[in-house]
Amino acid sequence: MSDGTLDAVTLALVQNRLDHITKQMGWVMTRTARSPIFNHAHDFSCYLTDRTGTIVAQADGIPIHTGGGGFAARALIAAFGDTIVEEDAYLLSDPYVAGGNHLPDWVILRPVFCDGTLTAFSCIRAHQSDIGGGAAGTYNPEAEEIFHEGIRLPPLKLVDRGEIREDVWKLLMINCRTPHYLDGDLRAMLGATRIGAEQVAEHLTELGVAQGLAYMDGILDHADKRLRVAIADLPDGTYKGEDRFDNDCFEPMDIPIKAAVTVKGDAMTIDFTGSHEQIRGFKNSSFANTYSSVYMALSAFFDPAIPRNEGTYRNVEIVAPEGTIVNPRPPAPMTMNTVFPACEIIHAVWRALSKADPDRSCAGWGKNAFPITSGLGEDGNTFVMYHWFGSSGGGAVDGRDGFPQQGGLNSLCGLRIPNAESFEQLFPIRFVRQELRRDAAGAGKFRGGAGGDYAVDIFAPVQYAFRGEGYSMPTGFGMDGGGDGAMGSMKVTPEDGDAMIPPTYGVRHIAPSRLEMLAPGGGGWGDPYERDPALVLGDVKDGIVSPEKALAEYGVVLKDGAVDLAATEQRRTNGRT
Amino acid sequence: MTNSDSDGATWRIGVDVGGTFTDLVMIESAGATFVFKAPSVPADPASGVIAALELAAAQFGGAVADILARCELFVHGSTIATNTLIERKGAKVGLLTTEGFRDSLEIRRGWRDDVWAHREPNPPVLVPRHLRLPVRGRVDADGSVFQPLDREDIVGIRTAFEREGVESVAICLFNSFANARHEQTCAEELREHWDWVSVSHEIAPVIGEYERSSTAVVNAYVAPRTATYLQNLNERLAGLGLLRPILLTQNNGGVIPLERIVARPVSLLLSGPAAGVGALAFYRQAIGSDNLISMEIGGTSCDALLMHRGDVAVSDEIKIEGYPLALPSVDIHTIGAGGGTIAGVDSAGLLFVGPRGAGANPGPACYGLGGTAPTVTDALLVLGRLKPGPYAGGAVSLDEDKAKTAVLEKVGRPLGIDLDAAASGIIRLLEQNLLHALQQISIQRGYDPREFTLVAAGGAGPMHGASVGRMLGCRAVYIPRLSGVFCALGMLHTDLRLDFVRTRYGRLDEVPAPELETIFAELEAEATAQLEASGAPEIDCTREIDLRYTGQSWDVRIPLDSLDKSEIRQRFEAEYDRLFGHIQPDGVLEMTALRVVGTGRLPRAAAAQADRSDGAPTPVEWRSVFLTEGRAEIDVYDGADLRPGQHIAGPALIAEHTTTVMVGPGDRLEVDGANNFMIHLGDA
Repeated sequence: MSDGTLDAVTLALVQNRLDHITKQMGWVMTRTARSPIFNHAHDFSCYLTDRTGTIVAQADGIPIHTGGGGFAARALIAAFGDTIVEEDAYLLSDPYVAGGNHLPDWVILRPVFCDGTLTAFSCIRAHQSDIGGGAAGTYNPEAEEIFHEGIRLPPLKLVDRGEIREDVWKLLMINCRTPHYLDGDLRAMLGATRIGAEQVAEHLTELGVAQGLAYMDGILDHADKRLRVAIADLPDGTYKGEDRFDNDCFEPMDIPIKAAVTVKGDAMTIDFTGSHEQIRGFKNSSFANTYSSVYMALSAFFDPAIPRNEGTYRNVEIVAPEGTIVNPRPPAPMTMNTVFPACEIIHAVWRALSKADPDRSCAGWGKNAFPITSGLGEDGNTFVMYHWFGSSGGGAVDGRDGFPQQGGLNSLCGLRIPNAESFEQLFPIRFVRQELRRDAAGAGKFRGGAGGDYAVDIFAPVQYAFRGEGYSMPTGFGMDGGGDGAMGSMKVTPEDGDAMIPPTYGVRHIAPSRLEMLAPGGGGWGDPYERDPALVLGDVKDGIVSPEKALAEYGVVLKDGAVDLAATEQRRTNGRT
Repeated sequence: MTNSDSDGATWRIGVDVGGTFTDLVMIESAGATFVFKAPSVPADPASGVIAALELAAAQFGGAVADILARCELFVHGSTIATNTLIERKGAKVGLLTTEGFRDSLEIRRGWRDDVWAHREPNPPVLVPRHLRLPVRGRVDADGSVFQPLDREDIVGIRTAFEREGVESVAICLFNSFANARHEQTCAEELREHWDWVSVSHEIAPVIGEYERSSTAVVNAYVAPRTATYLQNLNERLAGLGLLRPILLTQNNGGVIPLERIVARPVSLLLSGPAAGVGALAFYRQAIGSDNLISMEIGGTSCDALLMHRGDVAVSDEIKIEGYPLALPSVDIHTIGAGGGTIAGVDSAGLLFVGPRGAGANPGPACYGLGGTAPTVTDALLVLGRLKPGPYAGGAVSLDEDKAKTAVLEKVGRPLGIDLDAAASGIIRLLEQNLLHALQQISIQRGYDPREFTLVAAGGAGPMHGASVGRMLGCRAVYIPRLSGVFCALGMLHTDLRLDFVRTRYGRLDEVPAPELETIFAELEAEATAQLEASGAPEIDCTREIDLRYTGQSWDVRIPLDSLDKSEIRQRFEAEYDRLFGHIQPDGVLEMTALRVVGTGRLPRAAAAQADRSDGAPTPVEWRSVFLTEGRAEIDVYDGADLRPGQHIAGPALIAEHTTTVMVGPGDRLEVDGANNFMIHLGDA
């Protein structure tokens, strides 16, 4: 192997093994973490980097964490460099100085040494249950500075040659509202990164350290080549796309995010110049989160079999001007960024890419806007309830309709909506309905997801935290001739008062009440006139599309519960009137 | 083996109908075992069963009736329900549901298993929305009735279903796990008009409207076709002289008489692989260990099972073809890795193996049925580990040249490596995938695989057992001679099993022990009555409880032999600690469900005795085989020559009737007292 050539079979085996090691780290994490957010909701990602901090394997992770972890490893190397020794472990979170994506995601990094040589880092990025700051549970919708969002962690040495630094540990515990969770979760992260580090060291030693390092390079080279092949298939040119917020968390405002994608041969540049300047509320995106969102957009756009290590994106350049919403200056707040503007960044990149390759284009996913309520239950304990049942519809692509309800574009349907029956056992509520909306799905050859029609009676006075998009403009945009999904609406009717329209962002205290919402619909793909009339008839029978819309948007003439094929053909040929 | 068709002998017969073959295993009362394989007949699976019986009758020189007349146990595992679902050949189903909640089937809790494959549509909804019709009437979370059931709605729905030509009805009402009266009323009304009415609380009385509806709907979808087939098979067998009704293997690994399953064939969706539990229960005595991991490898997939202290975990969260079922089911981990798994090189020059397979047709390139993609079987043939010519009991013939061409052109040339390197690369990557699957079923569930014996089964398992076992850190790998009919054999070593569950939410310390006792006693009475009616001679009930710390949304199930609250807590904490590595000393325990597992023990056949031999076995040939580094001439034995007590030092190959065993360099194979193979792994 000294001549630099790698054995093709061994390369496949090493990649498969390193991916599997990250999965095993995830199992250990799931089995040992304390708080439900990890051992049930799986809000964490395990990854391995090479010695330069470039992600080599990340088979266990949530889509929006794709590729962001390398920034953390490189920040650690920049801060500690040659002083990193065996049996150390490090912690960081800050998006401004430590390569973090947002403050609640803490990263544990553990160096992997073989025969005294630094070869890799074994890492976990995980969303903590609480990190102090202005609101319990890490999301403070009223934050105007990052200081309102929780404790900021620069690269810290948490374990010094095998010994936990008790002073640092105590500093962390006293800055957290749920130290019993934090203590257990940090130990779980340390344990899982240790398992990862041991297995990587064992594997590299088996290969021989020099060869092992060469194979890690080979894994990155292979991924790089896969994406280059995919990019080279696109015509050269510059393609533009944008998405927007209609508020800055405090007041209505038009806030565009603009992406210009330039394809030249097998290279790609994504330039956010022209995007809005950073905003007052917590929807700014850190550098790492912007990169991660772009990576997620690309991985979802191209073939899912392309690896998702950082070699994949080696030939992708990202320009994110400082001081904008995609790369703010301190102390802009940003905790919401893994949801918003991650969604807007992905949408903007998708819209640009759709012009380069319309066949692969993805319609917009309706943005989620359901609130969170909290209050005191009958037992005197505080309860917190996420209204997942009001989730929005997903966007269509060529070959399938949008998913009917989804927990967020940033997870690509990796979040499970609870059963309503389970929530009735836990909270002082009674569900009225959780069904699909009518005439809300964006029309298209493949239509958007319908989105939820949701209502619930809440029997206790509660605090509502509102945080969402999609109530004053459509968010699930159509593609390639497809229509936009309908926008959402929400109202709260207290038992002793009149119905009120809640704010898009902010906190309100409301008496026992009925919450009703229509979630935004997803965008359609392709000309609705090309949709199979039988599918349109099915949607009409199913009550997802009204007969009027079937005629107006799809050009399908129905008669006596069946498609009038001749009349439909005629209407579709004559065009829209 | 001797002809056992002597006076007074009785038969136990297990039949596993797979996609390609119908496997028949017959055990005679003294323990002699016979195996027959007939081609499956997908259009009429019963004909495949009869054909296999005719093969047996021909060998014994009698008629099928002679065999059936002396059959004391006929156990059947069938893929009919699974195929009905896969091929979308089920009934037209109508779902009656609660007003406001008709879409849970379609929303699917917003979840997708493979998030990155977002261009793939969700599996089709089995009941379109216009046949999911709402009825007014609402049960609250505590089981009280908030809004009475509207009977006129039921009549309206009945009319609509009739107009639409609905063949099979499912009923799932909101909170019916807490109070089933509304569901019962609907069922009474609809049963007057339909033969097939699947009621959620009868099939899966658990919390969770999505999984409960899905279970009821899948049942309604597969029931008419499955039940018709099973009843037809039973009648044909009875007509041929079978005295007792057939038994079926269920998802939970136990068996059940036909008449108790016809109304709920959804419990047969894992009918084949779940029988692996019976096989492990049988072999554990010979192996002398209660800690076993099995990998059963066939043409397209590998099913892994884990037995710990004699038990195989049963959970009620399974998914078949993307449809969740809330039914007690054996915890099986399946990956796409088998003899027909396809290898190739991606657009940037990286080798891959699977998960796609070539299926039975065209199958591997070496089958000569038109396949050109190289598969695992092709690679084994190139390496000399399989022999050209008749294969799988003569069902196909392997063509070495076709295998070489496929491996060289699709893998060797693109990677710039020679034929042997390409073929061995395919096998190494496949075995790494097998290793990862076994690590998942052990490490992910909190077990250390090094403390287990690996059981390698299926037609393709014994080829990879030693290699994968070594990587897994096991000391030994057990290989049943009847590997190729692992599940059919397992069917003859299972008991009747019925699972009962009652959902009951509450703080453990606040629910009075007498109430627990009452619920358990009711469930046990039901289990006992049903098992007695099934003719079980010996009945045993075990109690289980689902517990969690308050605020959590998943449960840990523990067995219960006392209602002492502090003892329950101790058992919970021990299991929780094993699974998650910590406990919450002050955590409040909440119960969610009580369960009773009823077991009706069936008599066991005696194990056959084979003559021992101390002599050294003689190879039948020497073959050039590619091992890890290069080729060597290695010994090949005919399995039929090997006797208990004999040993073989690796490297070696053992050719059995339906499988080939690979013994690695440094390994030592021993024929054990039960006449199977134990490979003691060397360090190499």
